[in-house]
Amino acid sequence: MTGKNISPKNFADDAFSVLSDPLMQKVYTAYDNVSASMREYLNGDGFLEYKSILMGPVTDPGIRGSKQVTVDYYGYEYKMMSSAILYKQLLTAARKKAGGEGKIYFFADNIRLEPTETANTDRHLAEFIQVDIELADTDHHGAMSVAEGLLTHVCKSMKHHEKELSEIWGAFSEEAEVRGLEKRTEIRVPKTPFKRYTHKEAVDELISYIDSNPEALKEMEKRFGFKPKELNHKTEIHWEYEWLLSSINKDPFFVYDYPKGSRGFYDREYDDKKGVLMDFDMLFPGGYGEAASGAAREYEHSRIIARMKETGEKLDKYRWYLEFLKAHGIRTAGFGIGLERTVRYICGLPSIYMALPCPRIPGLLSP
Amino acid sequence: MPKNFLGKKTDYPVREIMERARKGRKSIYPFSNEKSKFSIYGASMEHTGKKFFTLDNIVITPPQFTPKRLEKAIELIGREPIYHDVDLSSRIGGFRAKMPLVQASMGSPDDWNKVAPFSARACAESGIIAGIGENITTTWGYSSRVNSTQPSFYDRSMAYLENTAEEYGGLVIQQNEEDAYDELWNRIYSDKKFDEYIQKGMVAFEIKGGQGAKAGMGGEKVVDRATALRLKQKYTIYPDPEHVIADSYERHSAPDIFTEEILENRIKKLKNDYPRVKIWFKTGPYRDLGDVIRIAAGAGADNITIDGKEGGTGMSPSVALNDVGIPTISCMKAIASAREKGVTVSMVSSGRMTGGGDMVKSIALGASGIAMGRPFLIASYAYSHAEHFIERELYNYAILKNISSRIAKPDKRSITFVKNMIESIETEAKLLIASVGKYRVSDLSREDLGTGSKELSGLLGIKYIYE
Repeated sequence: MTGKNISPKNFADDAFSVLSDPLMQKVYTAYDNVSASMREYLNGDGFLEYKSILMGPVTDPGIRGSKQVTVDYYGYEYKMMSSAILYKQLLTAARKKAGGEGKIYFFADNIRLEPTETANTDRHLAEFIQVDIELADTDHHGAMSVAEGLLTHVCKSMKHHEKELSEIWGAFSEEAEVRGLEKRTEIRVPKTPFKRYTHKEAVDELISYIDSNPEALKEMEKRFGFKPKELNHKTEIHWEYEWLLSSINKDPFFVYDYPKGSRGFYDREYDDKKGVLMDFDMLFPGGYGEAASGAAREYEHSRIIARMKETGEKLDKYRWYLEFLKAHGIRTAGFGIGLERTVRYICGLPSIYMALPCPRIPGLLSP
Repeated sequence: MPKNFLGKKTDYPVREIMERARKGRKSIYPFSNEKSKFSIYGASMEHTGKKFFTLDNIVITPPQFTPKRLEKAIELIGREPIYHDVDLSSRIGGFRAKMPLVQASMGSPDDWNKVAPFSARACAESGIIAGIGENITTTWGYSSRVNSTQPSFYDRSMAYLENTAEEYGGLVIQQNEEDAYDELWNRIYSDKKFDEYIQKGMVAFEIKGGQGAKAGMGGEKVVDRATALRLKQKYTIYPDPEHVIADSYERHSAPDIFTEEILENRIKKLKNDYPRVKIWFKTGPYRDLGDVIRIAAGAGADNITIDGKEGGTGMSPSVALNDVGIPTISCMKAIASAREKGVTVSMVSSGRMTGGGDMVKSIALGASGIAMGRPFLIASYAYSHAEHFIERELYNYAILKNISSRIAKPDKRSITFVKNMIESIETEAKLLIASVGKYRVSDLSREDLGTGSKELSGLLGIKYIYE
């Protein structure tokens, strides 16, 4: 089997043939290695791992356009976790209060019924693992330091597996190139600190790149099937530009200080810069796009309530969370790094569903 | 008028006080059987209309000289322009509509829900925009019906979307906090069955910032015990159905909370999160309406719907119908002022609009179109055997309920009734616009209106007709 032959349909029609393929087994082994090296780094840095929480009375509502899954919990409606964000703040504050460092993480199972249009982005799944990390007494820059340390460590560990990985790279290289991804031939161990663009600098960089390379617009149109939207400083960087920014970078990098309006209520707004959030994305180079997303958290319940109303939330749903913040809220920051996205990057996979056995591809019915 | 103990008539509200004494908190809603408290979805309360001006205080004033009629004749070559040459097609809130009439976003009341799919289909076939109000999914189910005789949210949506033609019209869907509990908008946005229509740009999400008949108040409904138990997790129910056995329960939903910043950011976030649908904002008869329009327009709302205090309601306290909020005419003033300041956003006005006259007056004052609710309900029930109930006990809230239960199965004739009503409004509007010598709806302006009130003339900048 080569990478070319694998399609979402294979998982629906004959999952066993895909799963038992030696090449795919190498991918699943890399997945295991990446997980182990993440745990090794985090445990070595004083983080405590908590068991993933699967359901609760409320989950993260800040996920653009995706639907939560409701379960009947003894006659009450519970939600499957779309992210562990609310629990991260709770458990970090609790650990700190008990005398610990206040550093925690989950290998969090996340379920999000993404819009079916995301089936073609190559990086959305309806079920995936996010390594969800939170630490006390710091801001988004502190969280970025952990993120770059973690990714660098994963690259170092995976450098030892280059021989097995090279078979995967070879098998998928043609298809990866078609999807606008850099061909992988080695593991580059990045140097820290990573480059950090503010959102404004990133947009400016894109504008000047397109000025001197106008053919990039055509390339984006070919890659995404629609005319690129207008670039501006006020909104999230759209997928097509994020891909371009990722493509023109050789090493992982950060974009931070996004404008408000695109993120959940828990990303903290600067006290002295209205409309700017203390948040960041970490991006892979070579067109692989977003790796992680994080922020300094809002932890004052009055500010959270105002932000919740901006997103039209019903406050009653969040009573436990608001009461906790009022009594025990502390300054924390954190991020979630996509495990499958990291595996995709390391293995040079054209699409994210290839990283998982039994993937949940938005809208596809498969075992 | 009640009599006092000396047998003399008095205007002191003796009956109302007795009503309070007998029924407690139930007496504050106009569904009691007392003759003194009539209401058809909020209309015909005894004091309403006497306190303030309405659109009825305005007349349409055709001129003798009609240069645009001459222009039209030149365009038509060899034919006198008449009313059917008037082009009513409009762009409202990001949609194309055959005429500037919107079926207002009406929600979950039993009798309306039952006929809503017929009305929706009539709107779609007539090429007008239609709204779907709040609480429908939580009350009647998303796609599978909670009650076999009551259409689900999906039934109502598809009755509209599957019957539109030539991409005229649009479906405007509300989500209040309780619907947000079920993530209605996310559900629609990731639902394959809606995808085609979202792709075509035929769907809008409408934030509900208010309603004419209950400014500053949340949604109220009376439900039975089984429903009360089912809804307990999402609504405030009084009395507690788990501990108190009563023949009815009040279902309250909270009014949403806004500050200037919250409104601005809410609109921006929705535009960011749901880039393929239009974002509408519905507001009510608030004293700070000018600021509301400025902020919603600035944040990029595709449409602002402004519901005056005479607007309809499934259920509101009588005191709200009588004494709360600014009237539709004041809302029109806010629209006119916004236009003077250069605000170009689409604005739809509503609040006791019933015909082509209301449409023409509102648009001449600056609205992009009008929305109506109750006329669609009443038209849907225009069966001949319904008539004598309506005539006999005119406009008691309970009576319409009675009608809907006697006509257990409203049928496709409702579609014809609603289409007939729309057609009559269309013709009326065309006659009126042609009468002022204009042939495009956007040519209407304040010069086409007059009033017998000096006060109103000064307020709205329209001509005083006795001069």
